[in-house]
Amino acid sequence: MRSTLALIAVFTLMAIAPRVGEAQSSRYEGKTVTIVVGYKTGGGYDATARLLARHLPKHIPGKPTVIVQNMPGANSLIAANHVYAVAKPDGLTIGTFNRNLPIAQLIKVEGVKFDMTKFAWVGSAASESTVLAIRADLPYQSFDELRKAGKTVVIGATGPGANTYDFPLLIKELLGVNLKIVSGYSSSADIMLAIERKEVDGRAGSYTSLRPFIDRDLVRPVIRARATEAGIEQLPVDEDLAPTPRAKAIMALRSVPEVIGRPYVMPPGTPDDAVKMMREAFRNAIKDPELVAEAKKAKMALEFVSGDEALKVVKELLAQPKDVVDEFSKYIKFGE
Amino acid sequence: MIDALFEGLLLVLQWKAFAFMLLGIGLGFWVGLLPGLGGATTLALMLPFIYAMQPVEAFAFLLGMHSVVATTGDITSVLFGVPGEATAAATILDGHAMAKKGEAGRALGAALTSSLIGALVGAFALALAIPVVRPLVLTFGSPELFMVAIVGLAFIASLSAHGARGMLRGFLAGGLGLFFATVGQDPQAGIARYTLGTLYLWGGLELVPMLIGIFAIPEIIDLVVRGTSIAGDVPPGRLNKGALEGVKDTFRHFWLTIRCSLIGTFIGIMPGLGGSVAQWMAYGHATQSARNAEERKQFGAGDVRGVLGPGAANNSKEGGALIPTVAFGVPGSSAMAILLGGFFLMGLVPGPDMLTKHLAVTFSMVWTIVLANVITVVACFLFLNQLARLTAVRGHLLIPVILVLVFIGSYTANNHYGDVLVMLLFGGIGYLMVVGGWPRAPFVLGLVLGKIAENYLYISVARYEAAWLYRPVVLVLLGLALVVICYPLIQARRAGAKKDAHA
Repeated sequence: MRSTLALIAVFTLMAIAPRVGEAQSSRYEGKTVTIVVGYKTGGGYDATARLLARHLPKHIPGKPTVIVQNMPGANSLIAANHVYAVAKPDGLTIGTFNRNLPIAQLIKVEGVKFDMTKFAWVGSAASESTVLAIRADLPYQSFDELRKAGKTVVIGATGPGANTYDFPLLIKELLGVNLKIVSGYSSSADIMLAIERKEVDGRAGSYTSLRPFIDRDLVRPVIRARATEAGIEQLPVDEDLAPTPRAKAIMALRSVPEVIGRPYVMPPGTPDDAVKMMREAFRNAIKDPELVAEAKKAKMALEFVSGDEALKVVKELLAQPKDVVDEFSKYIKFGE
Repeated sequence: MIDALFEGLLLVLQWKAFAFMLLGIGLGFWVGLLPGLGGATTLALMLPFIYAMQPVEAFAFLLGMHSVVATTGDITSVLFGVPGEATAAATILDGHAMAKKGEAGRALGAALTSSLIGALVGAFALALAIPVVRPLVLTFGSPELFMVAIVGLAFIASLSAHGARGMLRGFLAGGLGLFFATVGQDPQAGIARYTLGTLYLWGGLELVPMLIGIFAIPEIIDLVVRGTSIAGDVPPGRLNKGALEGVKDTFRHFWLTIRCSLIGTFIGIMPGLGGSVAQWMAYGHATQSARNAEERKQFGAGDVRGVLGPGAANNSKEGGALIPTVAFGVPGSSAMAILLGGFFLMGLVPGPDMLTKHLAVTFSMVWTIVLANVITVVACFLFLNQLARLTAVRGHLLIPVILVLVFIGSYTANNHYGDVLVMLLFGGIGYLMVVGGWPRAPFVLGLVLGKIAENYLYISVARYEAAWLYRPVVLVLLGLALVVICYPLIQARRAGAKKDAHA
């Protein structure tokens, strides 16, 4: 019964579909769309891309096959350079990279051979809400208490360029909290274990990854960055506590890419109709109930940001005055 | 507890779970045989397929696949001298040397039997360690993990030829390995080290192409130069036997196999040490069992003990790596990190619940490891002697196939041509080392331990300053490292004393 209804629906749609739809359908029919991921299999960027690859075809006219290609290396710079300059702008390539690539471009990292504003932006699939969490058995109930106590609190980190490192670094340098950042852990899971054995007192990271440990009362979040989600809205935001406008600008600059935490782009010069159609498909796929159900099971929180919005965010980020950028690059390096 | 143990078994034996396990085994079998394509990558690729499964089915599928990868990886290592997996490289040293002597069947028999014992020990440890895992893992902080890396490096003493010259060469090779491990962006200051201005080297050198180069290229050149088959000088009739001999070898050196399994389990339990370390420490330990200098020379030239050690350790570490994954939700290896994603998909939260509410599921994992390995090993034995005959195939027929494996295997690491260049470069280094009589094992040990040692040393000093040196476990491990370093000397002296006594 349901399949009959679906068939009827399909036929009706076909009958009333505008000519553009037909052209699109021939563009993608029998074709393969490749999502180039700037990381290896198994990480968060890869998992999101694979989830999308399973559900995108339904929403693209002509139902192309969508595959994921991993192109790891240099914190996704290799993949971004590839999609920017090598991949054909024929609508069959999508790239998803390190959210901090706009920062790499801003602080002029060697090896950046792209302009983030020239990509054809499809959108972003998720935002990343960064929090700093400290051990629940420490006597500090809130960020204010932590700051006023003045005692050294040891924070474990993976390395510069990751939010485990950069977020506490700015809190230490700009908000004057007595943190000691110990870097070099192989993963955030590794830091979690260091927290369990009291080697370190806390760590920064995405709220999603910290949540099981917060629920278990091992750690307590005390401060967050700009991007937020249900459960942490009431936490103080680092930017709001900045003592000077300069400090605020620097903290804002670090947070901005987190709003577009899983960026998706197409090569510059991709035909407008193809971009338009892919944006549409991307939006619909992220809201697809089947995808939402799968994401929920995998504890992935997806959030749609449109291509226009994402591009706006990137342009804003890249338009920072030189003095802010200079000060910013004193603290923040591009990595991971 | 006993109830849960049997319930776990029954869960795996349900026809659906069992069928999925067989499917997983079939997949893992091929992944293990093919160099380059690793267990962790395959797990990530297979993760989406478990959405529709029940937890027990999903883990039977994933673990069934993962736990046979190291077993069949040994087969490629023994037959062709190409590491089937990064974790099966140490098997090459003696396994492939045996194949060249016409003992491929025996080497395979030994590798598979020791793999099975290793897997059983690992699974047993997983079952036993459940109550004590928390304090055990928490005792090993960064300073202790650094010292474990030092103990690993101390094994260079056993992995080098005896005598001052041999030691010097061994430690120099180890130093070279440590040096290559520093390539890439460092995690403390974010500085790009020795990247030669390329983006490719930012992430450091990839282990798989390096290992393939170091081990496979010298063997291929050797095969070309000799112009014969792998087991060139052996009459073909003798090749068909031997698998059973390998089984017997395993029981002849039963305690060595058990000890190496325990080493593997221990390294597996420690999150952050990485899967490729276990095999080398086990190999180092196996060489210590040489009773005199003559016997020591046999290692690397085809001593079956050099197959048993890594064969056992690379399987037992998987059971070990499951322990912190299940108990803390902290993965013990990259493959386990992906498996953790599988837990979430199944709606299971790793942690204390896995040891109480979901104990049967946990035990079903133990059983999966056991059953998957038993099935694989039995299946392999059916055509082991046929496999061994591959070593009698003429070199010029075999070399193109091996070369294809070598190139594809290196390329799949990053899908970057740089990987192929790395493989060729390290192939050159490996060849020069073989020709010049430099040991390759210390070099590889330096490679796999370099990052671990550097990071944990940095963390220890940054966190505790000098105080980490006085921690009791650190001191114990330091003592152990000294014993490991001095062991060859003590052995030599003892052998000398015995000779005097006889004379």
